Amino acid sequence: MPPATQSTQAAPLAAAAAGAERRARAGPKRRRRRVTQELGAEACAWSEGIHGTAGRPAAPSVKMKNLYIFIAVLFIPWSFSLAKYDEFEDGDDIMEYDDNDFAEFEDVNEDAVTESPQRIITTEDDEEEATVELEGQDENQEDFDDADAQEGDTESEPYDDEEFEGYEEKPDASPSKNKDPITIVNVPAHLQNSWESYYMEILMVTGLLAYIMNYIIGKNKNNRLAHAWFNTHRELLESNFALVGDDGTNKEATSTGKLNQENEHIYNLWCSGRVCCEGMLIQLKFLKRQDLLNVLARMMRPASDQVQIKVTMNDEDMDTYVFAVGTRKALVRLQKEMQDLSEFCSDKPKSGAKYGLPDSLAILSEMGEVTEGMMDTKMIHFLTHYADKIESVQFSDQFSGPKLMQEEGQLTKLPETKKTLLFTFNVPGSGNTSPKDMESLLPLMSMVIYSIDKAKKFRLNREGKQKADKNRARVEENFLKLTHVQRQEAAQSRREEKKRAEKERIMNEEDPEKQRRLEEAALRREQKKLEKKQMKMKQIKVKAM
Amino acid sequence: PSDGAAPRYKPPATETNPALEDPTPDYMNLLGMVFSMCGLMLKLKWCAWIAVYCSFISFANSRSSEDTKQMMSSFMLSISAVVMSYLQNPQPMSPPW
Repeated sequence: MPPATQSTQAAPLAAAAAGAERRARAGPKRRRRRVTQELGAEACAWSEGIHGTAGRPAAPSVKMKNLYIFIAVLFIPWSFSLAKYDEFEDGDDIMEYDDNDFAEFEDVNEDAVTESPQRIITTEDDEEEATVELEGQDENQEDFDDADAQEGDTESEPYDDEEFEGYEEKPDASPSKNKDPITIVNVPAHLQNSWESYYMEILMVTGLLAYIMNYIIGKNKNNRLAHAWFNTHRELLESNFALVGDDGTNKEATSTGKLNQENEHIYNLWCSGRVCCEGMLIQLKFLKRQDLLNVLARMMRPASDQVQIKVTMNDEDMDTYVFAVGTRKALVRLQKEMQDLSEFCSDKPKSGAKYGLPDSLAILSEMGEVTEGMMDTKMIHFLTHYADKIESVQFSDQFSGPKLMQEEGQLTKLPETKKTLLFTFNVPGSGNTSPKDMESLLPLMSMVIYSIDKAKKFRLNREGKQKADKNRARVEENFLKLTHVQRQEAAQSRREEKKRAEKERIMNEEDPEKQRRLEEAALRREQKKLEKKQMKMKQIKVKAM
Repeated sequence: PSDGAAPRYKPPATETNPALEDPTPDYMNLLGMVFSMCGLMLKLKWCAWIAVYCSFISFANSRSSEDTKQMMSSFMLSISAVVMSYLQNPQPMSPPW
């Protein structure tokens, strides 16, 4: 097949050469080709337009994105349909077609099978067979008259006996009469002019359409769920916090009163302006309903939407302790992942049955006193009643997020810690959530508010404080020990660099006198350093004793 | 329990490293570009179609902070790969089986 560019040029030439009929037929095709080219140019100009406005720093809104995708999606079927119509312009082997299909077979005996794309019946010039052929062809013509108005409609099936009503005997008789066989060649799929041969493409486009439909439906569902949640919780939040909803763009701290949509499946809400806490960040982490792949994956592995609440406490409002309660699986995972839980809570999660908690929940705590203090009646009431919705609750004064993967040889200080309360709730419904399920999370928000007040009120006694301080000192020491080796290595490498630089300088010195003097100076410096080191070692030994 | 203190500041960067959390859109973007280049160079129709799918998936999973231009350009590239494959070779795609 000649490449597209050549055929673009060949087409007008071929049209001119073929004759008036051909030209008339090629006319609309050329126009269509021009339209395709214009379309391409348009697309280029449009994309340039997009890149041209790159200077604007404004964040792209979700609506604009949707608009772009909608316009772009229109290109697919349009360009596809245009490409389809250019099918028969390429190639030198296209014959002139009359409306009468039979005209194709005028030269059929000389030409090879590949030349004529229509149903070929190689026969002798027998009158009876010719009439049979004619009948057959006419019947075919009728069959395809109401199909697409393309020349040369064909049948992909082989010789169909039903078409020859009343002539049943003749076709049977004639082959036996003549020794020449009737060979019917299957037309290759790409030369047939029917939509059916493009079934893979149609499948692909249908798949794409299904994906787009799912995207729209999923996005809307997530949106509805988020707003259902917000409408239920709005009152409680506004009564407790001065600032509800802030997306960080305004200079002044004004309440937007709206959820901040980060994604098609993540919604944020920042509240602050309450006595004990710096602020509270609520993240509604929905399932990716807008992504069809995710939807299919979820059919294998059910998951649920989550609401994550992170309350940052003021330094003076929370005492020093690390405590967590939640489902056993979640706690095991958190203990491995979270920096603070892994360092301070060394035991495995304990059952909360002692306090009347259901079996599904477990407790991780720095020390028993903290557990005692935390598990008061109201908290236990909350935990027992809403145990199915609670994934994990974590109070920590050393919260620094998940464990960071540290590279080899990289010196790091202890990560920044913040006093935080973390809550992770599972929305009931495990995937098939409805707005009612979102509303049922309201009591959990009351639990959060209660916990904030409780954390402020709860103070460790003297023993507990001592233990806590000891723990923290221990952790810090361990960290320093780990990094000590790294720091030493860094200092060593620095010293070696200096030495090398000095040696280079000495070597480059031209004057031999100067060279000698510099060498001596370097030797003296080294000796001094050695002596200093020895002194230090002696001092350390004395201290250790 | 209303505010005794003045309202606090705006939210800090809500995610310290969104790229670490979910790399799907980036992977899909890259995959889409790779497939569309394959489709264009090797004239493979199925490559071009997969590229279109990849760029759609990347769009669906993207974060709002992500560049629309990047996504549009990968999308356009995949569409052009499909169109070019069909212009060069109007045969219907044959299934691999």
